[in-house]
Amino acid sequence: MATAGRRKLRKITLQIAGMTCASCVTHNEQALGDMPGVEKVVVNLATGKVTVEYEPERVTLADMRKTVADIGYEVVLDNVQLHITGMTCASCVANIEKAVGDLPGVGKIVVSLNIGGANLEYVSSVTSFFEIKKTVESLGYGVSQKIEGQEALDREQIARYRDVRRQLINLIISGILGMLVMVGMLQPYFFKFLPDLMNNKVLLFFLTTPIVLGPGRQFFVNSWNGLRRGITDMNLLYATGIGAAYGIAVINTFWPDAGFGGKEATFYEAAAMLTVFIIFGRYLEAVTRGRTSEAIRRLFKLQPKRARVFRDGQEAAIPAEEVQIDDVLVVRPGETIPVDGIVVEGYSSVDQSMITGESLPIEKKAGDEVIGATFNKTGAFRFRATKVGKDTALSQIIKLVEEAQTTKAPIQKLADKVAGKFILGVHALSLATFLFWFFIGFDLWFVPESRLILTPYSLTEVGTFGLALLVSVTVLVISCPCAVGLATPSAIMAGTGKGAEYGILFKGADTIETTTKLQVVIFDKTGTLTKGQPSVTGVIARTGDEKEVLHLAAVAEKNSEHPFGEAIVNEAKARGSVLEDPTLFESIPGRGVAAQFDNHNILLGNRRLMAEREISLDSLINEAERLEWEGKIVMFVAVDNDAVGIISVADTLKETSVLVIEELHQMGFEVVMLTGDNRRTAEAIARQVGIDRVLAEILPEDKANEVKKLQAEGKMTAMVGDGINDAPALAQADVGIAIGSGTDIAKETGHVILINDDLLDVVTGIQVAKTTIRKVKENLFWAFGYNTLAIPFGMGILYPFFGQVVSPELAALLMATSSISVTLNTLRMRGFVPAVRRRGGKRTCQQVTIAAHPVGVHTD
Amino acid sequence: MKSIGFISSVIYTGIALVAAGLFLAVTLPGRYTLVESIGGTVWVFSLSMIILMPIITPIVKKKRGRVKF
Repeated sequence: MATAGRRKLRKITLQIAGMTCASCVTHNEQALGDMPGVEKVVVNLATGKVTVEYEPERVTLADMRKTVADIGYEVVLDNVQLHITGMTCASCVANIEKAVGDLPGVGKIVVSLNIGGANLEYVSSVTSFFEIKKTVESLGYGVSQKIEGQEALDREQIARYRDVRRQLINLIISGILGMLVMVGMLQPYFFKFLPDLMNNKVLLFFLTTPIVLGPGRQFFVNSWNGLRRGITDMNLLYATGIGAAYGIAVINTFWPDAGFGGKEATFYEAAAMLTVFIIFGRYLEAVTRGRTSEAIRRLFKLQPKRARVFRDGQEAAIPAEEVQIDDVLVVRPGETIPVDGIVVEGYSSVDQSMITGESLPIEKKAGDEVIGATFNKTGAFRFRATKVGKDTALSQIIKLVEEAQTTKAPIQKLADKVAGKFILGVHALSLATFLFWFFIGFDLWFVPESRLILTPYSLTEVGTFGLALLVSVTVLVISCPCAVGLATPSAIMAGTGKGAEYGILFKGADTIETTTKLQVVIFDKTGTLTKGQPSVTGVIARTGDEKEVLHLAAVAEKNSEHPFGEAIVNEAKARGSVLEDPTLFESIPGRGVAAQFDNHNILLGNRRLMAEREISLDSLINEAERLEWEGKIVMFVAVDNDAVGIISVADTLKETSVLVIEELHQMGFEVVMLTGDNRRTAEAIARQVGIDRVLAEILPEDKANEVKKLQAEGKMTAMVGDGINDAPALAQADVGIAIGSGTDIAKETGHVILINDDLLDVVTGIQVAKTTIRKVKENLFWAFGYNTLAIPFGMGILYPFFGQVVSPELAALLMATSSISVTLNTLRMRGFVPAVRRRGGKRTCQQVTIAAHPVGVHTD
Repeated sequence: MKSIGFISSVIYTGIALVAAGLFLAVTLPGRYTLVESIGGTVWVFSLSMIILMPIITPIVKKKRGRVKF
């Protein structure tokens, strides 16, 4: 819930049925936006969802449903069947209906005493099922969700199915009748073997009227709803086109002497086929919307339905949503893990690809984290639930992807704005065209033998008004940018879905667009370019055995909690040393450690520590400087005030760091590294990974300022870092990329979240974003540019030269082609594989070790 | 106070009627048939209404403040 000033705002996402084009978006945005108490409305045509920010004190869900219904659409609610126990009389029914009905997200509840159940319609994003359940239980009744109701949960799929089916039915009805009309109109030319009755104008009237008033009705109703609110839309173009063609045909049928061209100028086929082609376009759009949202539907489908839980020593199968935190659950081979948790017993390998994009199964043992909705492959194990319901990784991913899909990219806002003006302009152009052909064109160029393109019709019977009207209607139809409503959101949906497949979550459509404009990519060093886990890279003994030097250093560091100490202890253990406890241990901050062991004084630390203890480093200094130049951290070991050796420690570059920098350079990015390390170390690392620019010795709190400085140079900047520690810098960057978030997605600050700790996903993400926006632009061309180019033909530019006019039905076919182009172009995104993955994402660099944080220098 | 819808409709209908009237006035005495003149007038009126409605309504709305229809 957000708070704006004193007002408390609530955000709600509703599924709207019946939206078919960009104008529907405008209708809903305007109608809801006009409601008192509504702060902000964002509608996404592709998902069919509207996000409303509103003041709950001033406007309710019921008000919104009514407003949406008033303009001809429907708010689709979650529908579940409840099984209620303990009801005895009618008052129980009334109590439950009142208590549940008063909850903010509940649209309708009908309780039946006879069947001991209820039909509930609600918005789960406002009131969860759990809250409803608690409310019913607080009244003293038992409640559970009927299992068959689970199937109804995928309301999105149902809504889509209904939309596609509705348009398909419209298409079949109008298609069959339209073909009959077409055949009837062409009977005197091509189908002379058919009875003349087929060309009877009254029969054609009876065949065309059901098309216009049935499947075509939606255009008239929607355009009127829009006009009432001062909105021009695509429906208006259709309605005026169909209405004009149909009106003239009716007049010429029943009043042939009225002067509109007579019985031979009845363009019933224009009205009929215009409707057919427009509905064909609508059908394609409905199918595309369904296809592009497949990724999110796949995520929905991952949600497990059942869980085996241990309660009171018994194993019981319960609905997954009833699992509570700290429940111990059992997972057997071949089962899906129901919620997030930590393994307490057992061993298995788990396929996490559906959540993280990681292709190889991950081994799981006691203490390891498991993610809900992932697939258990080999062994059985028990785990303790740590995140349930809305908090699971899957729920967070779904929420994030859904939210991203309901946002609008700046390019879409522009396209919507242009579309509105474009439609208005088209009507003005249509009027101008009419006036031109009425007063000038007809007299100048009309020849009775002239024809409609690709038809046998001559325009002999058409008079001044008939020709002018015909061309005017054609302009309306041919220029309709009907696919524009789908062009951007469908590509954005496909892009966000594709990103999610690789474990890359974009928080908004605007982020996708900004990502394509980036010029600079800044990497945090520790934990981003490097693994953030120092390891020993070398041991040098002045005299004697290296192993002994390492052993003494490890004994001294045995009780240290410093990462370098841990690295030394681990290395010594790995080399087979048995580490005794030192008799004395002292940590010297910023310098190292001092310890006593076996009657020897051991010192381990940096140059400053050795200098303070007046220990000569002459014999080791050349080696030390060489190692430092390589970017490694040098620690001297002294025994009884005599320097005996050097241990070099370094962080390890991630396997893909060098490859990622190389890819980014090839893509034309400037790459910058940001680190708290000293300049010499930082530059050594930069050399190894091939980074152009190093910002070293930066305090953590100054990272955001460094990003700001780069932005001040006029560069669009991305920051790649830890979503929690680097939060201010990520927030400051034009695109903050939080890497390796794992399942804690909700905590992340970045605009882009990479679930995996794989740097290659930075490149993958940029490539997905670039392809998505390229698709948007291509779609906008097919939706817009194409129609614009066709306008002169619609206006009759060919007529003076060739004596041919584009007919309204041909214009409609061209218009439908525009929708087909957008549809096919968007669907191509489904098979898209980012270039970096195609070339083999497994190509990694050799392990390179580099220095971690020098002792005594602030760290990042 | 009159509603925005009413005020807007008076304005755009008025302007559209003027445009249609002009068309009729120009075509009536000419060589066009009565049907052509009237047909054209109806079409000009329809398109003028369609063009003017979305232009006038927001202007009136802006001047009179946001009111629910």
